[in-house]
Amino acid sequence: MFSYLLVNGMIIGGIYGLIALGYSLIYRASGLMSFVQGDIITFGAYMGLTFYKVLGLSIYASLFLTFACAFALGIVLEKGVIRVLLNKNVMPIYIVLATIAISFIIQNAPQAYYGTVTQRFPQVFSKSSITVFGVTNQTEAYACFVVSVVLMFALHIFMTKTKFGTAMRAAAMDPLAAEACGINTSLSTGVTWGLSAGIASVAGMLLGPMYGVYTMLGATLGRKGFAGAVIGGYGNMYGAMLGGMILGLVETFTAGYWSGTYKNFIAYAILLLFLFIKPTGIFNEQAIQDV
Amino acid sequence: MAKILELVNFHYYYGNIHSVKGIDLHVDEGEMVTLIGANGAGKTTTLQSVSGLTKRRGIEGKIIFQGKEIQSFNGNKVASLGIAQALEGRHIFSKLSVEENLIMGAYKRKNSVEIKKDMDKVYERFPRLLERREQMGGTLSGGEQQMLAIGRALISLPTLMLLDEPSLGLAPLIVKEIFIAVKEINREGTTILFVEQNSKIALSTANRGYVMQTGEIVMTDTCENLMANAEIKKAYLGV
Repeated sequence: MFSYLLVNGMIIGGIYGLIALGYSLIYRASGLMSFVQGDIITFGAYMGLTFYKVLGLSIYASLFLTFACAFALGIVLEKGVIRVLLNKNVMPIYIVLATIAISFIIQNAPQAYYGTVTQRFPQVFSKSSITVFGVTNQTEAYACFVVSVVLMFALHIFMTKTKFGTAMRAAAMDPLAAEACGINTSLSTGVTWGLSAGIASVAGMLLGPMYGVYTMLGATLGRKGFAGAVIGGYGNMYGAMLGGMILGLVETFTAGYWSGTYKNFIAYAILLLFLFIKPTGIFNEQAIQDV
Repeated sequence: MAKILELVNFHYYYGNIHSVKGIDLHVDEGEMVTLIGANGAGKTTTLQSVSGLTKRRGIEGKIIFQGKEIQSFNGNKVASLGIAQALEGRHIFSKLSVEENLIMGAYKRKNSVEIKKDMDKVYERFPRLLERREQMGGTLSGGEQQMLAIGRALISLPTLMLLDEPSLGLAPLIVKEIFIAVKEINREGTTILFVEQNSKIALSTANRGYVMQTGEIVMTDTCENLMANAEIKKAYLGV
């Protein structure tokens, strides 16, 4: 029982971590909370479904194309909506409201083609289940964990070891100084939004085979990711990964040892607890500004 | 001497507020020029406008760098032309290490071997930065941050370096140390335009000076003459 819960908690925690990462990146780059993040998970799941099931592409090609589409969507969002509003010097809360509007558009758009019925994501691997540490799970679930970890690691390398990644962090810390150094801050902010969206879309596609694909998929998961980001320290990359992981584990253990009915209750109670006792999260991120 | 930078009838508006009111200013190649004046005179606005860091729609008039009009360029484009600025308040990337801060200064450069060499030169000039190279920028003292800000501007190998209030909030001894370094940088061939509230040290360091008052240039001369001027003595040097 314990090892089963641990493994499954880590799998779902990895996904929450990925989603949380998206929130944190955007907050760092733009100082905003984007409500679109959750629905990009949905977007990713539907894109993945389209590429893999409808168009019959390979899983790798589907994954890549889903990421690419979401990346483009993220940039368009930043350049077409957020930047426009920022240039008008509106209060940040209006921008947050705008992200809510877009969130509903993205959430409901797939219905035009797929309708409201939950779509089944076809099995990806020929072997339907594998056993790790004595725990048998759907193969896709383990693949999901591997992809989340690889993505987080890749992102860590990109942000800390490459010049462009460092420039993205620099631009998020101090846009004026970054611009003076010759960094194109408009580009780097756009890329940050693109990456956030790309990561969320991959999370959505990974979840497809386990949860099925439906329009509200991302709404719930987005909230979990957000909670994970807060617990870890809003705006901190590593905090997001850790916070997501903690949330996944707590939730799974609650469901396992107590009751599945209470898992969300406990998860959000922890979020509240953090907001009361340690709003800066585990990584002590001084995030609370004006929004 | 050829003019490297020229502002022609330069105005700046923050919305309805007319903050710089048609100034003419130039810097010759190899020169060190200072722009002095009280708080709110428009010095920082002028400097940041040259660097492309102010909103372009507020500008009226011309900013000419090496014969090219640049008043419509944004910051990163200006930086790639060879203008670097150490900003007022230093603006160090607080959560990047000293070394990463310098790497960001060299963002537009490609040759990593050359960058490494120039980084060593910065460390040679400011040995304290070498001791702290792995430390986060935000943990440095004010003086060290100013050194880093200058180093970060220097490592882009600018033809024109702009310094905004390099003495701000620093102890007199550190100010002295910084201005010695600035003078050396100028002697080694970098043209410098700097803004300073500490008129005494500004006029004793630069070749030429402009005095700015509520958005206008009210006087310009060599620093020697400015220092000898009775009005300047009274208003800015407190003698």
